[in-house]
Amino acid sequence: MIDFELICGDGGPRMHFIRLLNLALVIFLLCGATGAAALTEEERNNIELYERLAPGVVNITSTLLEHDFFFNVIPRKGTGSGSIIDSQGYILTNNHVIGDGKLEVTLADGKKYVAKLVGSDPDTDLAVVKIDAPKESLRVIPMGDSSDLKVGQKAIAIGNPFGLGQTLTTGVVSSVGRTMRAENGTLVEDIIQTDASINPGNSGGPLIDSSGKLIGITTAIFSPTGASVGIGFAIPVNTAKRIVNDLIAKGYYSYPFLGATLMNLFPDIAEALRLPIKTGAMVIEASPGGPADKAGLRGGNKRAQIGNNIVTVGGDVIVSVNGIQVQDADSVIREVRKLRPGDKVQFQIVRWDGSSGIVTLILGEKPRGMRTRQP
Amino acid sequence: MCLKLQFAAKVFGKAVPAVFFLCLLAVCSIASALTADENATIAAYERVAPSVVNITTQMCEAEFFFCATPTITGSGSGVVLREDGLIITNSHVVSEAQNIWAILSDGRRLPARMTASDPNDDLAVIRVDPGDKPLKAIALGDSDGLKVGERVLAVGNPFGLGQTLTAGVVSMIDRSIKNDDTILRHLIQTDAPINPGNSGGALINLNGELVGLCTAILSPTGSSVRIGFALPVNRIKAAAPGLMQSWPRITGWVLAILLAVWLFNRIYGRRGGTPRYHWE
Repeated sequence: MIDFELICGDGGPRMHFIRLLNLALVIFLLCGATGAAALTEEERNNIELYERLAPGVVNITSTLLEHDFFFNVIPRKGTGSGSIIDSQGYILTNNHVIGDGKLEVTLADGKKYVAKLVGSDPDTDLAVVKIDAPKESLRVIPMGDSSDLKVGQKAIAIGNPFGLGQTLTTGVVSSVGRTMRAENGTLVEDIIQTDASINPGNSGGPLIDSSGKLIGITTAIFSPTGASVGIGFAIPVNTAKRIVNDLIAKGYYSYPFLGATLMNLFPDIAEALRLPIKTGAMVIEASPGGPADKAGLRGGNKRAQIGNNIVTVGGDVIVSVNGIQVQDADSVIREVRKLRPGDKVQFQIVRWDGSSGIVTLILGEKPRGMRTRQP
Repeated sequence: MCLKLQFAAKVFGKAVPAVFFLCLLAVCSIASALTADENATIAAYERVAPSVVNITTQMCEAEFFFCATPTITGSGSGVVLREDGLIITNSHVVSEAQNIWAILSDGRRLPARMTASDPNDDLAVIRVDPGDKPLKAIALGDSDGLKVGERVLAVGNPFGLGQTLTAGVVSMIDRSIKNDDTILRHLIQTDAPINPGNSGGALINLNGELVGLCTAILSPTGSSVRIGFALPVNRIKAAAPGLMQSWPRITGWVLAILLAVWLFNRIYGRRGGTPRYHWE
């Protein structure tokens, strides 16, 4: 009672302050109580992330006109997802979503835009497209850091599974550091595995952590059935960060180029060839005029049957790259990929006659296929 | 008016920094750190990760001329029960295997041999020799206290991909399922994705304690539709002493044959009245 009077009595600014403080406390407690009773922290986090980031996820439809047997024109449609990464309308997605067709982007609010392919990189299965939409309708998904991900932390996928429309699926990071082969056979490193349901149509969509940062681009699933069995893969955002600027500026990412065909040297082959080493990457062929050829790296010149295999032998064997020991061709490529075109790289090699040497070569730029920027 | 302004200034002067600070704290905790739930999951995974092994098996198949050719390889998971290399897994993972390897989470690949198997419970025990680096045994929880809706994590080796964490909840307890010829009772049902290769892997709670052994799934496709079943850990605790016996199974057979010989002699040995043995 005394308290009540004290609070209600007009006691000047100090009393006002106390009254306000009490009011704030009551409101705070009420909010806390209702919040705690209705939704858990986890649920609130999911809802907050979805509401904040869903406008940044778009659906991408790629339409390719094809002829059937009777030369009737039939459109073939593919759908995928993408994340807006820039307020100018740049959208990051998968290369396999883009296909070769005409692109149409549907924003979360239902507006459709014709999209232009800005650049693509088949080696990491990433592509950037651009739409000319007003800035206020573009919600940018901020990029996070995928280097310190922990197995067990939350992973949220927003996408367009089976073309159904925007869908939120949640899960955890199931493992990190997996390797995956892209469609053209190159290795993509540090793949994130998640048990958030990822289905066809989720491709190109964002994988988001609990703070709302982009940590990966959902790309592939492992499944005997074609639909999610709880094993999905995402390309880490750090890989995307490395190449996106080049994709926007040039339309492609220039990879370093050796100009050599490499083969894994297995211990049994090494033994049959009487080489003084067990493993390494054997040069099968050095393209004439290529960086490897210019530096004096020798390719094979004779064919030998070893076991059931016919192997082109006589080439140099790379055993270390810039002082780092390599066991096979993939690890040579991994080491070289850390450098840029124009960089110098030092190979320690073992020659056909068993002598060892050091070759320094200047990396070239990997020739690109037919695919270039759309007009 | 003047008073009010002054009051406002006073209130703001005191309250605003505090409120601002609180807001900042809240924003920071949301923006940079992980949620409490995530931290619990990460801690639980990190606690059990060294105790879950990947199992690769090799079976032999008779070819046309009935020569055994080691062809079929299978994969599964296992849980380390004791530091000296005692690993528990499902009997359907290892029972028909000729060669078994356990791949530890530190990358070591050790040959293993099955020492006991209980097909009725779908449990088997394999042993590896950990050398001078002992394994880390898993902490056993209590599966009787499990509640439907409780968070559980499955750690295993689906499709032989390597160690994988999947999360879900307890969907139901005390389920019984019937396979071709075996009935498994009192299983835990979970919606954490369990796939072929997860068999024998750990189902853990958020404290990082083993509550079940991933055993079976119900699926029209053969891969996860988020209906997975795990053997409760209390069954493992009950069956373990029998499975962990250290004398080899051959001892049992020798004893059985000795018993049979002794019985045979007891029954038929005295017939005819002639001495059975002529030592002279």
